[in-house]
Amino acid sequence: MNKAGCTFKPPILLILAALLLGGCAAQADPHRKLIYGLTLSPSGIDPHINASAELGIPLRSVYDTLIFLDPVTGEFVPGLATAWSISEDGKRYTFELRDDVVFHDATPFDAAAVKANIDYVLNADHHSQKAAALLGPITSVDVIAPDVVVFNLEEPFAPLLDSLSQVYLGMASPQALERWGASEYQFHQVGTGPYRFVEYIPNDRILLERFDGYDWATEIYREPHAGYREIEFRFFEDLATRAIALESGNVDILGEIPPMDAQRLSSSGEFSMHPVPIPGQPLQYLFNTKNEPTDDVRVRTALIHAVDRQMIVETVFMSTSPVALGPLSAEGFGHLLSTNQLAYDLTSAQELMREAGWIADQEGVLRDKDNTAMELTIIAPSWGSNPDVAQLVKVAWEALGAEVTLQIAPGFGPLREAQASGNYHAIGINFFGTDPDILRPMFTSTGLYNWSGYANNELDNSLRLAAQSSLDPVQRQRLYQKSIEHITTQALVLPIRDYVNLVIADNDIAGLRYSAPGWFPLLIELKPTS
Amino acid sequence: MTGRITIIISSFWVVAVILLAIFGPLAAPADPFSPVGEPLLSPLEHGPMGTDALGRDLWSRILYGARQSLSAALLATTLTVSIGTTLGLIAVLYTSWLGGIILTLANAALAIPGLLLAMLFVAAMGPGYLTVILAIGLGGAPGFIRLSRSIFAQIADEGYVDVARALGAGKLRIARNHILLNAQGPLLSLATTHFAWAFMGITTLTFLGLAGDPSIPEWGVIMNSGRAFLIDAPWLAVVPGALISLTILAVHHLGLELTDRFRPRG
Amino acid sequence: MVPASHRTQTHFLIDIAKRVFEGLLTAWIAVTLTFFALRAATGDPVSSLLSQGLATVEQAQALRTALGLDQPLTIQYLDFIAGLFKGDLGLSLYTSQPVDQIILQQLPSTAELALSGLISGVLLGFFLGTTAAWKRDHWTGKLASSLSGLSTSVPVAFIAILALLLVGMLGQQTTGNLNFLGYSGLLPALVLGITTAGPIAKVIESGLIESLQSEYIHAAMARGYQKDLRLLWHALRPALPPVVSLSALEAAYLFSGTVVTETVFSRPGLGRLLLRSILEGDFPIAQGLVVVAAIFYTLSHLGADLIAMLLDPRLRDTT
Repeated sequence: MNKAGCTFKPPILLILAALLLGGCAAQADPHRKLIYGLTLSPSGIDPHINASAELGIPLRSVYDTLIFLDPVTGEFVPGLATAWSISEDGKRYTFELRDDVVFHDATPFDAAAVKANIDYVLNADHHSQKAAALLGPITSVDVIAPDVVVFNLEEPFAPLLDSLSQVYLGMASPQALERWGASEYQFHQVGTGPYRFVEYIPNDRILLERFDGYDWATEIYREPHAGYREIEFRFFEDLATRAIALESGNVDILGEIPPMDAQRLSSSGEFSMHPVPIPGQPLQYLFNTKNEPTDDVRVRTALIHAVDRQMIVETVFMSTSPVALGPLSAEGFGHLLSTNQLAYDLTSAQELMREAGWIADQEGVLRDKDNTAMELTIIAPSWGSNPDVAQLVKVAWEALGAEVTLQIAPGFGPLREAQASGNYHAIGINFFGTDPDILRPMFTSTGLYNWSGYANNELDNSLRLAAQSSLDPVQRQRLYQKSIEHITTQALVLPIRDYVNLVIADNDIAGLRYSAPGWFPLLIELKPTS
Repeated sequence: MTGRITIIISSFWVVAVILLAIFGPLAAPADPFSPVGEPLLSPLEHGPMGTDALGRDLWSRILYGARQSLSAALLATTLTVSIGTTLGLIAVLYTSWLGGIILTLANAALAIPGLLLAMLFVAAMGPGYLTVILAIGLGGAPGFIRLSRSIFAQIADEGYVDVARALGAGKLRIARNHILLNAQGPLLSLATTHFAWAFMGITTLTFLGLAGDPSIPEWGVIMNSGRAFLIDAPWLAVVPGALISLTILAVHHLGLELTDRFRPRG
Repeated sequence: MVPASHRTQTHFLIDIAKRVFEGLLTAWIAVTLTFFALRAATGDPVSSLLSQGLATVEQAQALRTALGLDQPLTIQYLDFIAGLFKGDLGLSLYTSQPVDQIILQQLPSTAELALSGLISGVLLGFFLGTTAAWKRDHWTGKLASSLSGLSTSVPVAFIAILALLLVGMLGQQTTGNLNFLGYSGLLPALVLGITTAGPIAKVIESGLIESLQSEYIHAAMARGYQKDLRLLWHALRPALPPVVSLSALEAAYLFSGTVVTETVFSRPGLGRLLLRSILEGDFPIAQGLVVVAAIFYTLSHLGADLIAMLLDPRLRDTT
């Protein structure tokens, strides 16, 4: 060999050196900092303004709420409010507040701070996407004393306590709200929770630091001082890279892991799997009752019968989540659902189609009396397993004899845009929540998310009355049962599966527990195993 | 430049892919849209390529995909070549202000990389399979205008065009009888090289999910959906990825060979 | 009479001025094309926001005024150009954040990726190119030559998938922490580097082969010079200017590569931002990114030209 051979070594050495250098830089003390993966990058993370569930994963621990919902007992427990009472007519809520709480910026917490928060949320210029709706028919907030605040409602509103336990109504420093305004506050959030907000770089990271002066912990936090000093949140939007990110040590805890990866990782001995059921609505499709042929209840029922939901759940979710029973999940709402689900039954589907005037021709294509073929359009969101499920629903309806177009909406904006065009027969949309009132915006005639276009007085009334029955839980339950039965018999929705978030955590981490709405971890209880 | 064997293998591969595109769907054992069994069966459990995440026969999807991907790239290339040669020819025939404008615009558009330009069109028209084809067709045009113009210019510089002009031939006749006729070879090599680019562009955009519907059996789409099962079923992404790469490589080699063969003399 | 040397210098300056002017013209036309292409196709984006129920009619009107959409297209265009000089690219439709701010937030991540991609690409390109030319008749040279051919033909997406597969396999095999592979840092850069290396390797290969066949090198070899490092350096020098300008151009093209790499590796950055804005129909962001890319391309093109002129004395004299 001649000497030229050595010419080619330097680049290799350089690359190797770079590899090693990268390695040194990436390794830090594992007990100081935790990396928690998020699976969606929200367009904004001000909980008072934005609606994403993802933002609650870090921010649930930045804010305290007036009350908390105990994930174990399902009862409301004191938070920043020590006690509360509801007036006889259900229109006046009085809260007694703690007087020993200060925000992370040293502003004291008092009744005026509560009022400032509610005013911020209700300010029409701020376009609150969720928090304002959670407040329902609220008209004003009165400061009675520094530690007493009163919420006045136009009419009784049963979900209010549940609303006030949610991160979207977490109490923020009035000084910070004032200083930054609605456009900038999301980058400078200040609460009273166990973690302090440090920074947010969109699509890149959110950084929290433990707040050591946290002396007013609610009773649901078992160890309010245990946590990691720093928690960094990074975004792993791509389904395909999540397992690899865990395996290569780039993230310590990550949710929404595809079932197959989750099973592999948990059997490796390095990770543990935490299936977290999410209360709310299942992955579902709303039928558009305004367009032919889904304006006919027989066609809708036939389309539900044509889908083998068990098979879909086995294929896409490898049976890690249950087949949905109705427009609400069994988790949290099991007592409202009848077990009489609409089963897979191709024969009755064909029978119903015939009754509705759709006859299969020789090629199996469904045609009406004018010989027009049945055409259906499905709109499905792009996130999570939605596209997979939608493809299988498409195949099922094609097997019944319809011609099906599938449109994937990449993001919530495009989904709403596609919906607004009205050119669809089924659309994928669902909301999460711990109160059955989430049905109201979707199934009442004037509801903001009435994407099925269904309008029925009886259903409107029972859902509205249910929302107002704040003092009669039994009556409330009965009204929801009635509403759900109505929705099911009218075949307004094709429910597929109840959400179960498959969370994978490194075995070096102990104490992983989730709050009542499912998505949000109690970050302060996380600690190294050893 | 390229070895004899490389050319033989490349030609063989390209012919094979074309045959797949034409006859593949006829030979496909199953419907590429419907599940045929359990999801993620390995090639050993369900021949010859196993099933994808939704239990569809991967082999059938690949066969249909050959037709989808190849025809999409062919359509896009046709669009590029027609726009490119037309404008390139105009730029040569009308050397005055019109040719100048065309060239300046093409050069300016080249300041945006082709794939980015294509994505700009997708942004303007909204995601969709047809959009992707159009976008790649349009995105490649500026480069093609410039390259075809230089071929035409070279031919136009050769003596007999001047002779024809002196004999009073009209511009259209000169274009048809002299320039286009003599440019056939170089244009073919240019179009072949461009086809490789279009194929890469189409599969990249569909891979990025810009085609909209994920049930389309197209190689880029299949590679993208296979990505989620990289560890448990690597063949789902690797098979379409390898097919795309081999096809681009083969066409690229053929393009180089044609360029060598039709290199203008002198 | 102007002295000859002085005249060359003046020519040189005129040349530079001419190329700068051409560059600016190109950037301006590209920006204008982008503006009209997007504006013509997307129509009034606020009406679609309105249809999504995100705003009331009054709010929509206010938003139109804020975005300047109630002005005639020519005025909007002039505003846009005027804004460009102030670094103002408009507001995002969905978050109402200034586009320049959004881009600046994502820029460092992409710059880091593109720069390390370019460096590894140049290194790899040099390695493959010199091997291919130096060992032309040996199998290593043939291998290097076909590898660089491969690197231009294999889509970034597939290279990224193979790299990810490799990390995944390693992650399964070992119990240790694989952070050192820099799954979101070094690996994507290497993937980009592999796709960049091909063209660079080809230029070096042909340049080196040409100079190895030159009389000068032949004479040196005949005089008993070993085929060693020193000779390689001499042979390589004439091949360098084209590599420099090619690298500058590759830098601009890397942006398309980052779209794929950032997506596959779940890395934040401009590429993902572009993809997202396209999918969501947030056209001011897409427009801003394309404008930035066009300006960057023009500048690096210009830079490459100038560097080539400085490096190669022959180019200076030609006009």
